[in-house]
Amino acid sequence: MTSTSTTIGESVTTTRGAQIKKFVVGAGPLVALVALVVFFAIASPTFSQPGNLSILLTQLSILLVIGVGLTFVILLGSIDLSVEGVMASSSLVFVLFAANDRNDFEFGLLAVVAGILTGSLFGLVNGVLHVRLGIPSFMVTLGTGAIGIGLATVLFGGRAPRLLDEGLRAWGVGSTAGLSNLVFIAIVVLGLAFLVQRFTRVGRYGYVIGGDEPIAKLSGINIRKYKISSFVLSGTASGIAGVMAATQLGVGDTTIGTGFLFTAITAVVLGGTLLVGGRGGVIRTLIGVAIITVLANGLILVGVDPYIQTAVQGLVIVVAVIASGWSLRRRVRVIK
Amino acid sequence: MSQTLTTAPVAKAAPVVDWKGRFLAALPFIVLVLLVLIVTSKQPNFVALGSVRGLLESMAPILLLALGQTFVILTGGIDLSFAATASFGSVLLALWLPELGVVGVVAVLGVMTLIGFINGFVIAKAQIPSFIATLGALGLYSGLGLAISGASNIRISTGYEAIAWITDVRVAQLPLAAILVIVLAILISVAMRVLNRGKSFHAIGLAEQALLMSGGSTVRIRILAFTLCGLFSGLAAVMLAASQHSGGPTLADTLQLPAIAAVVIGGTAITGGVGGPIKTVIGALIIVVLRVGLTAVGVDPSFEQIVYGIVIIAAVVLTIDRSRLGVVK
Amino acid sequence: MSSPVLEVKNLTKTFKNVVALDDVTFEVRRHEVVGLIGENGAGKSTLLKILSGIYQPDSGEILRNGKKTVFRGVNDSAKAGIGMVHQEQSLVTSVTVAENILLGSEGNAVIAGIYNWRALNAKAQKQLDKIQSPISPKEHVEDLSFAQRQMVELAKALGVEEFSADEPVIVLDEPSSVLEGDELEVLFAQIERLRQIASVIFVSHRLDEVLRVSDRVYILKDGKCVAERNPETADVDELHRLMVGRESSAEFYRENDQKPVHNEKVVLQVDGLGKSHAFSDVSFDVRLGEVLGISGVLGSGREELTRVLFGAEPFDSGTITLDGKKVRFASPVGAVAAGFGYIPAERRIEGIAQGMSVQDNMFLADPRPVSFGPFLLPKKASEIASQWIERLRIRTPDRNANISNLSGGNQQKVVLAKWLNSPRLRVLILDHPTRGLDVGAKEDVYTFVRQLCTQGIAIILLADTLEETIALSHSIIVMRDGEIQSRFDASPGNKPKPVDLVQQMV
Repeated sequence: MTSTSTTIGESVTTTRGAQIKKFVVGAGPLVALVALVVFFAIASPTFSQPGNLSILLTQLSILLVIGVGLTFVILLGSIDLSVEGVMASSSLVFVLFAANDRNDFEFGLLAVVAGILTGSLFGLVNGVLHVRLGIPSFMVTLGTGAIGIGLATVLFGGRAPRLLDEGLRAWGVGSTAGLSNLVFIAIVVLGLAFLVQRFTRVGRYGYVIGGDEPIAKLSGINIRKYKISSFVLSGTASGIAGVMAATQLGVGDTTIGTGFLFTAITAVVLGGTLLVGGRGGVIRTLIGVAIITVLANGLILVGVDPYIQTAVQGLVIVVAVIASGWSLRRRVRVIK
Repeated sequence: MSQTLTTAPVAKAAPVVDWKGRFLAALPFIVLVLLVLIVTSKQPNFVALGSVRGLLESMAPILLLALGQTFVILTGGIDLSFAATASFGSVLLALWLPELGVVGVVAVLGVMTLIGFINGFVIAKAQIPSFIATLGALGLYSGLGLAISGASNIRISTGYEAIAWITDVRVAQLPLAAILVIVLAILISVAMRVLNRGKSFHAIGLAEQALLMSGGSTVRIRILAFTLCGLFSGLAAVMLAASQHSGGPTLADTLQLPAIAAVVIGGTAITGGVGGPIKTVIGALIIVVLRVGLTAVGVDPSFEQIVYGIVIIAAVVLTIDRSRLGVVK
Repeated sequence: MSSPVLEVKNLTKTFKNVVALDDVTFEVRRHEVVGLIGENGAGKSTLLKILSGIYQPDSGEILRNGKKTVFRGVNDSAKAGIGMVHQEQSLVTSVTVAENILLGSEGNAVIAGIYNWRALNAKAQKQLDKIQSPISPKEHVEDLSFAQRQMVELAKALGVEEFSADEPVIVLDEPSSVLEGDELEVLFAQIERLRQIASVIFVSHRLDEVLRVSDRVYILKDGKCVAERNPETADVDELHRLMVGRESSAEFYRENDQKPVHNEKVVLQVDGLGKSHAFSDVSFDVRLGEVLGISGVLGSGREELTRVLFGAEPFDSGTITLDGKKVRFASPVGAVAAGFGYIPAERRIEGIAQGMSVQDNMFLADPRPVSFGPFLLPKKASEIASQWIERLRIRTPDRNANISNLSGGNQQKVVLAKWLNSPRLRVLILDHPTRGLDVGAKEDVYTFVRQLCTQGIAIILLADTLEETIALSHSIIVMRDGEIQSRFDASPGNKPKPVDLVQQMV
């Protein structure tokens, strides 16, 4: 019936402050990106050389694929911490099914499919456990991430299996028109993700569920189906990323995903996708990924310790969450 | 009276004994006993003194981390940075011991406690989810640790005497340090019972809104939980540095999953409000016995991670209280 | 006279021990605007929830265009062409107007999960055209004002037309409470437009608006439909009387135990208190042992006022003075420390600590009476807990029982004990204290209120019924749309009548 709830005295988001905030969140990341590019172009002569730009784009590719997948889950208001484990498992499944120095399989493109599907499977498990058992997503994906690393460890068997398929190897180390092939893969993935986000129910209902789940439920939407689908998308993206990394390094490895989760979450947050869900999107993630990569690349050229970058990224995540949630603070409010 | 009345209902009868609840509460202990029996049957010298000593030694740092995490999980939150913070602490310790000796130990504990305090302060005041705030903290302190140490372990030679007792001193051939940790757990449990605000963490986990509307300072309690978690990460850092004779930026990282598993397996619900330090002790014992048990049964150690993952999910499923979750994200 | 498009016959709905709807019969005819008025608890909300399929009636029938229908859920109601514009905003702000209007019923604009935006926007535009709204379907809801969002909700409600061959019945539940000035006129113009393409049920506590807009008006009271009137010939005073008139028993409310308080000291003084979008310029004082009742419908600002007093919400202007000292609390922590207590309407979430024992609940606000320094004194705690169980006649297996297993009335008594345990208590705020309680528990609450007064505790009361307010209070203020409309003296022997209050509330 009545709810003396926390919406007392709230006016609509057409106040001046809210408009300013909307503008900053909307245009801010892009402005920041441009500013960073200009800064580093000035600060380091190496930055704007074509060779460096090519490296930059390559570095961006895998991160972009992961970030795009994560975006779907974060739009729901959930999180996927299993990225690194899924990448590890996918890379090993892929390499072991392709021509490698451990066994006689030579499935070529089917190996790629197998690797990607491994990711999808993990995503499915994440989604089902989260939705059907009501376990918070951070907990489920923490567990499945461990399982992913574990599975990879078992498949790893003490020594990294090497990818011998030259054709597949070329994806990772070869280039077309001066750009690494990985860049093109990332562009395709981004394009597909954008189409899904804009033109499919999985995408649009993700915004609805993330924006206001109770209303979504009342409208008769099958929330479970769409939540699980978003997790499957994230897992698939991690699977693709695992395969990409394997072609780049030439091996399947349990540590192939190390560091990506963190950076990807930072990228999504920096791009302007809100962690509470309902706002943002894959294009924003593209900008966030670009910011992170430019920062990483530029800071190294300028001589900053890469580990300080990790520390700063951690700080950025916290600051971004504080900033986006600041106006939602109430006296009697429960956030765990 | 114009209101239509029905006969006054009787106060709800007390339910018959909550068998499911009792069973679940006793389950960890039952599992532990079963595990010990199974392992002993395969490896009769499992219960020999030497083996028990090794068990306690490997359990102690996990238990310390898990105890700190218990406070946080009781409130319904989580601290994902606790292991990275401990690693960071070990790096600081390795750097400060040679010059400061025991003072260095105190300083490290102080810094760790402060880190926990900052986490709690930010989470409570800014009202942000703990998992994302501590994920950020994880990156921050992990990065700092790596940067300061140059991504490598730092051997502790001079100054080691200050912490040597942790590994050296034995009581009845069992490591004193480990026993002290268990005693600490017991003391915390007693304190929770004896102090008038001892059940505060449970209260926040069970009924934060009601506590807020009764004038309870949930902000303070939450900050305290994270501060304690930081302190215990510090204790774990000291213990690890002692046993490894060095500090390193990833020293405690492999303990993150076992420590969380220990809390959850012991019976503390991820939704908060249920559980406690004694349960965590049982959980930690299960974890270390499980490790030994897996090898005894012939399972490849590389399966360990898979087991942790499955066990964590299973334990969470069993103990989660969905009625208090509302919309699950 | 045109035939009824919607009829409700002998509808009855009971919740636990409360009869929400009692044999209600009414009808809506084609192209008619029917108004529904009634005070709090009259049954309007329950009736609307039944019409929208959220609740099922215990008995009675619903007829749509003469045919018997059963609504098993929200979708059934929509398919029958009943569109509801809810009191609370029910739009998803993270997507566009079109997506909201067609949420869950996109039809052939989305094929195999793929969106045809042109088709979707066109469909939404069709609904918007019905109310001639200038809002574009492509706009993002988060960019719209409250008034605009309400128009979108209206367009969405009209969407039910696509489901059934019949003209829709649109239900407007308190549509004007979020609107101001010109926006109201726009709303009324919309209702006129609606008349031509649909039939309307208009629910509002603002009597003047209902009378202005409706062709016929039904009055609900205590779950019964007590009268039907024509607004053109209706007498406002008669309407007021119809809304309230019931016999009250002074005995039930222990009126004899009420003591006058004219000479007592002022404990709490509120001056020009205001909170934007909630209430403004509220001033009153409360003396030792006095019960101040605050009357008002939902949206009058009284609930927000009590939460501000307790520090659960901030205020923008004015002052609060407790025992002569100005106070401004940053949270309930400060309020409780200063001597406020609060028995909330949402008992299960804010009143009791579910999962904890009865005893632990009793000392949740202040454990000092059973502590020695930081240590709990278990024996003293169990003694005092047992005393309260006896004094308040709390029915529980024992003091360590889980409070979640107690009945509502007994839970409320534990909440009461929690505040009575606190030696600091000066002002106790009761927010719907007898909601959901059975008769025996209610009587107990009234007895304890009287006792509290003799102990010198000041009480601010938001009661469920006007009778409760009048019987229990020493003085009453009536609020409407955020302002104090009038004050009444309610000392024993000088009580106002419910009609007097209602006149100010609606």
